Amino acid sequence: MTEPQSAAVDALEPWPDTVEWRPVSPKLITVELIVRIAWSLVIVAGLAVGWALQGHWLWRLGILLVVLNAIWRCFVTVRAVRAWGYAERDQDLLVRHGLLIRRLSIVPYARMQFVDVTAGPLERAFGLATVQLHTAAAASDARIPGLPPAEASRLRDRLTALGEDRAEGL
Amino acid sequence: MSTPGPHPPAAAPPATTAQEEPRRRLHPLSPLLHGAKSIAVIVAALSWQTLSRVGLERFTLVVLVLAVGVVIFSIVGWLTTGYQVVGRELRISDGVIWRRNRAIPLERLQAVELRRPLLAQLTGLAELRLEVIGGGKTEAPLSFLTVREASALRERLLALAGPATVTPPSATGPAAAFETTAVERPLLRVGNRDLVVSQLLTPQAFFLPVGIAFVVMQFVLEGSWTFIGIASTVTAMAGVLLQPVRRVLQDWDFRLARDPDGRLVVRFGLLETRSQIVPLNRVQAVGVTWPLLWRAQGWLHLRLDIAGYAGEPGESKGSDRLLPVGDFATARALVWDVLPGVDLATLATSPPPKRARWLNPVALRSLGVGLAPEVFVSRWGLFTREMHIVPYARLQSVRVVQGPVQRRLGLATVYADTARGRSGQAKDRDLAEAWALARELAERARLARRPAPLLTDRLDPSAVAVPASGSGAVEGTVGDTMENGPDDSYWRRPEQS
Repeated sequence: MTEPQSAAVDALEPWPDTVEWRPVSPKLITVELIVRIAWSLVIVAGLAVGWALQGHWLWRLGILLVVLNAIWRCFVTVRAVRAWGYAERDQDLLVRHGLLIRRLSIVPYARMQFVDVTAGPLERAFGLATVQLHTAAAASDARIPGLPPAEASRLRDRLTALGEDRAEGL
Repeated sequence: MSTPGPHPPAAAPPATTAQEEPRRRLHPLSPLLHGAKSIAVIVAALSWQTLSRVGLERFTLVVLVLAVGVVIFSIVGWLTTGYQVVGRELRISDGVIWRRNRAIPLERLQAVELRRPLLAQLTGLAELRLEVIGGGKTEAPLSFLTVREASALRERLLALAGPATVTPPSATGPAAAFETTAVERPLLRVGNRDLVVSQLLTPQAFFLPVGIAFVVMQFVLEGSWTFIGIASTVTAMAGVLLQPVRRVLQDWDFRLARDPDGRLVVRFGLLETRSQIVPLNRVQAVGVTWPLLWRAQGWLHLRLDIAGYAGEPGESKGSDRLLPVGDFATARALVWDVLPGVDLATLATSPPPKRARWLNPVALRSLGVGLAPEVFVSRWGLFTREMHIVPYARLQSVRVVQGPVQRRLGLATVYADTARGRSGQAKDRDLAEAWALARELAERARLARRPAPLLTDRLDPSAVAVPASGSGAVEGTVGDTMENGPDDSYWRRPEQS
């Protein structure tokens, strides 16, 4: 709108000079892969039962497609997890994620309504947690998965502290 | 279940127990009114077909039995419902089988509405509805109270809800409390003729004659003129076709005013009169709509986004109108009043780059965004033109989203989220521009938040007259391809510098 930037712009790297992005834990890749493979196995098992009962070639095609899709998605998952990133600035939290659809959220601390820290069984097994920042707007998504518990609680405490400093409701 | 008793919060040292007041009940007539409403629902549910099958007498019997049951249930409900104000909280307890006690922190109050359905008007009662952030639906409708009680409670709640230091300005004496309704400054009144004409100019109204002709044709051809048949057809059609009529009834005698504390007072309705009070700092966004069929008149429609009105599906668009119909000059004056410093006629927007045509083959020209000093403006829509005005001070978060096709074209969409569902969005901007826009929005939102809310300041009334006086200044800048009238800011571009 204002000044056209001359520098090359990347959808995942805005303002490279001023923002220091922090990645999420690489262990998240394992978690995501396990979830993905588990799901694929369930579907494949279902299809295999169908194949055993009926023996139509369409079942085999289905299994093949699911397996191929799983393999492809596994590669995507690795890159997608590496694409997650967050940055704490003085006034706001930046979260970026997504490969196909790239998203960046800028959420001011002052707008924070509450912070969620969640960890599912699989995440817990790998020592990970998810921090989510909620504002009054349903649309704003600031969710950071794959944080080590210490980092997650540090982030939570910092966010709540900053939110208290600057809170003013709406 | 009828042991209400004000149980003071045991573990609340700072609570001023001295001014603890007794829990109050709703008006004794309210169970009857509730019962009447439920009976209407029951009759509707039983529908015409049941009537034709079981005959009139048994139908009335069934309705009567159900009605008695409903009234008894409502009386029990009334006995268990109570409210009290404790400190800066409103506590409401209700429920027959599942008891519920809720405390509503008044700092979270967004707007208060006083509703009087037809029956309540006949009996001199009113319903008080509180809009609170985060509520899925309107919290705690207190129905019903006497009108005087309801407006007194509303004044009290709003005074408590305001900033904690609100007491000095109104402390001019005990008489001030009674004066408040008198010094209200009327802003505008929408003529009922305009309202009717505007609702005739809707697609549904155009479809109405067709629908009626269809029904008549059907009966002429089949030759069956039973009462039941006609009644059920009419009820079926009413749902769709009567929306304009409902709008007219809802928006009848639409009036706007500012109360002495600078809050916006909206009154409207014929069968059900409603009066809302909205503190100006609770306005999340303003939407401007130019429907296609209204263009000949140069009319538009203003919508007010308030965080509380999340629920009410189907009615959500209607419950927070700022101007049901009006010309540009009126809307301009009104926007100036609601968002001080925002002149609708000078809001300039620029379109996305040409290559965004791939994504918006038809409506590219109608997309646009602009950064005004106080607000973020976005516009879209070819036939129904819409403009969304978000004050920077109300921004919740900023998002930049880039889809796969957009990545090919080097475009991105910027969203400016507000507490109300709809976000301001800058669709398909150039990527560099999108980053700059996002940064600018975040920065401006931060600056707008920091000083004590600028928008709540009372504006001196003389300033309001300035933008309303004439829109002549705009005419020169409206471009060549703009087919619309001069006082239409939809196509306005920023000046080249």
